Amino acid sequence: MLTNTFSAEDTPSNAAWTILDTEDQWQAFSKPIANQDIQSSQQLVQSDLLLDGLRCAACSGIIEQGLKSTPGIVSARVSMSKKRAVVVWSPSATLPSKILTAIHDLGYSAFPATQHEDDLASLQKQRAAFWRWMVSGFCMMQVMMYASPTYFTTPGEISSDILHLLNWASWLLSLPVLLFSSSAFFSNALRDLKQKQISMDLPVALGIIITFIVSSAATFDPSGWWGSTVYFDSLTMFVFFLLSARLVEVKLHRKTLGALDNLASRIPENTERQNPDGTFARVLNTKLKVGDIVRVQIGEAFPADGKIISGNTSVDESLLTGESTPIQKNLNDDVIAGSYNLRQPVCITLNTIGESTKYGQIVNLINNAAVEKPRLSKLADRVARPFLIFVMLSAAIAAALLWNIDHGRALMTAAAVLIVTCPCALSLATPAAMLASASAFVKRGILIKRIQAIENIADVDTIIFDKTGTLTEDHIQIKTIVTKAGLTESAALTLATAIAQHSMHPISRALVNAHKANDLPSPEIELNDIEETSGAGISATIKSGAADVSLLEHSAVGNELKLGSAIFCGIAETNTSTQQVYLANKQGWLATFTLQEAIKHNAALAIASLKEAKLAIELLSGDRSSAVENTANQIGITQFQSACSPEDKLLRLQALKREGKKVLMVGDGLNDGPILASAHVSIAMGKGVPLTLAHADYVFLNGDISQIPHLIRHAKQTMRIIKENIAWAIVYNLISIPLAFFGILSAWLAGLGMAVSSLIVVANALRLTKFASSETDTHS
Amino acid sequence: MDILFVLIPLSVIMALVVLGGLWWAIYRGQFEDIEDEGKRILEDDD
Repeated sequence: MLTNTFSAEDTPSNAAWTILDTEDQWQAFSKPIANQDIQSSQQLVQSDLLLDGLRCAACSGIIEQGLKSTPGIVSARVSMSKKRAVVVWSPSATLPSKILTAIHDLGYSAFPATQHEDDLASLQKQRAAFWRWMVSGFCMMQVMMYASPTYFTTPGEISSDILHLLNWASWLLSLPVLLFSSSAFFSNALRDLKQKQISMDLPVALGIIITFIVSSAATFDPSGWWGSTVYFDSLTMFVFFLLSARLVEVKLHRKTLGALDNLASRIPENTERQNPDGTFARVLNTKLKVGDIVRVQIGEAFPADGKIISGNTSVDESLLTGESTPIQKNLNDDVIAGSYNLRQPVCITLNTIGESTKYGQIVNLINNAAVEKPRLSKLADRVARPFLIFVMLSAAIAAALLWNIDHGRALMTAAAVLIVTCPCALSLATPAAMLASASAFVKRGILIKRIQAIENIADVDTIIFDKTGTLTEDHIQIKTIVTKAGLTESAALTLATAIAQHSMHPISRALVNAHKANDLPSPEIELNDIEETSGAGISATIKSGAADVSLLEHSAVGNELKLGSAIFCGIAETNTSTQQVYLANKQGWLATFTLQEAIKHNAALAIASLKEAKLAIELLSGDRSSAVENTANQIGITQFQSACSPEDKLLRLQALKREGKKVLMVGDGLNDGPILASAHVSIAMGKGVPLTLAHADYVFLNGDISQIPHLIRHAKQTMRIIKENIAWAIVYNLISIPLAFFGILSAWLAGLGMAVSSLIVVANALRLTKFASSETDTHS
Repeated sequence: MDILFVLIPLSVIMALVVLGGLWWAIYRGQFEDIEDEGKRILEDDD
């Protein structure tokens, strides 16, 4: 009996996969390829699949071998790092749903990786970016080689012929860096100029051009008034550093998007619709019309709002209402789109579809809230404008003052000011620190959607939590067991499990789980006449008793067992403030199980340390008041509000915003979507609804909320380091500009200063790659 | 030190040749999947 129960749970919604078997469906993630086997002329198809559940390199081997031994599959290649499989199969011998089933049977899950039209274009872009970086890096190394003799010798020690030749070689290898690698800076600066904006790219582009012109002049005419010093080494290093930062940024971004792709990638939503002849066929939900009759299987979501016309069941509406207890639905009851059918297949007629359903309205609310989110100013760009104006003014003043004395010297001094102030350090200050932090987060299972969200989370003062799935696990737990004299707790649990394992009700599953967790022996009781009364309980007659002595007395053949509410079991209710379930037989009461939502084990700790950091904490939940109050009391939250609709939550958030609070929203379900999207900064749990994840700034892949205090602390440290970096860059410029102005700073010293200032900024930022709280780290 | 007049131009040419090699490697997709190919060699192939 046990195996039956569990296999029912394990069996995936295989039926839903068959929607992929039509050609227009699998074309979305497949393409035909030429058959390399000359002997057979059958058409082959190559499909991309996203994989879930990969843990190590051996997994990829298992999947490859398993797929190759499946009939109809010609070859399979699994990439561990991309979590993708490329499968070549023959449409005449197999079908996509069979491939997915084969992978599922191996213990992994797979989803079709829908091809985006821009996939190929993005690959080309990625390669081009890598190639630009490679060119700048390699040329930098070579230019450094040519420049190094001048570092170690006194002027005049190298003959001018050789020096000239070295400069020539440097110039030649700097050309690709200038013309090819740094082209993005020039085009960005031009674009910003056209839009009358000043960003960090403008001083960067100016610095590169002026450094190159002055160095080129020195190369071709060493005796001219430009002087004979070249800065090709500084130039190439600067470009290499900037491109490195951008490459890392793109890589992190792709990693985050890739993980979200995995979460959001699902089988296209489809439902069984009744044909005119009474049979059912699967169609895409987008093809449903008002008035259609559809059959919704157990575990499937209702595709639209409608009315039940045959069967009765219980549904889970927690995605929309936050209410985690299943709701009983009988004939003629209304069901809402996005809720899940839990107990029995039912037929419904559709009343409202698409955007006019409540589900559709919430989706719209999320999208609108996301659009309204104000764009964040970047710290470095704020500094760029005054910096640029200051530098240009100094250069212009220097030139103007010296113009009447000596034209040549005037231009040279202006150029020296511009070279010395080359904005390397300033432009590296923010990205280097933020990227170092972001990579530290990724290692802890925290994904950042927008890198600027680090700036936001550093200054939050209020945190709003959702309950279900965020502070609590999303399943019910057995808290205490009270038994009749003579019956042990474990015996009561075993007895309850014997009957509970025949039900899919969340409470029954909680009992079975508790039984399993306590390592108790399997019940060995066979039951007859199992009957589940929805909303009340489950009853059965004992067909054969247990072998266990402790159970013998209570499992006599022919005796009746009842599990359910007090009324159902025919006994008096003892305590109404908590959720309870009773076990009884013909003779009467046997045991009482008190239930509670399982609070995440580290929730109280996380809340305590957030309070210590002087953050205001609120709990807004859609659940009923007693459950919310219980949870809040247990983990130490004093401010809470229950039975909140998504609109209520949004109102509360807007009220806080008006008070000038910076709110961090931590949520999970679909009903949190709108508030996640419009909060100052937001965190979503990785097990949440894909739509919610898409609108959060951070995604916690392992749902561990004890990371939040560390995250905030680390973000604060990041902002501190960014400010240090910017302060350092400004101080460096304030010292060097007057020196260049009066011609005191010799050229090589200016070059060295530029290089060192960049290196200091990068080194300072690298301190952030270790998560701030490594001493409390128990996962890693 | 006259040899430098040959060696320095030669080094520029060498650098350009290496860059050409890198270009070939990048656009052949050699850097796209660095981790898996290294592990694949350890697996039994039948």
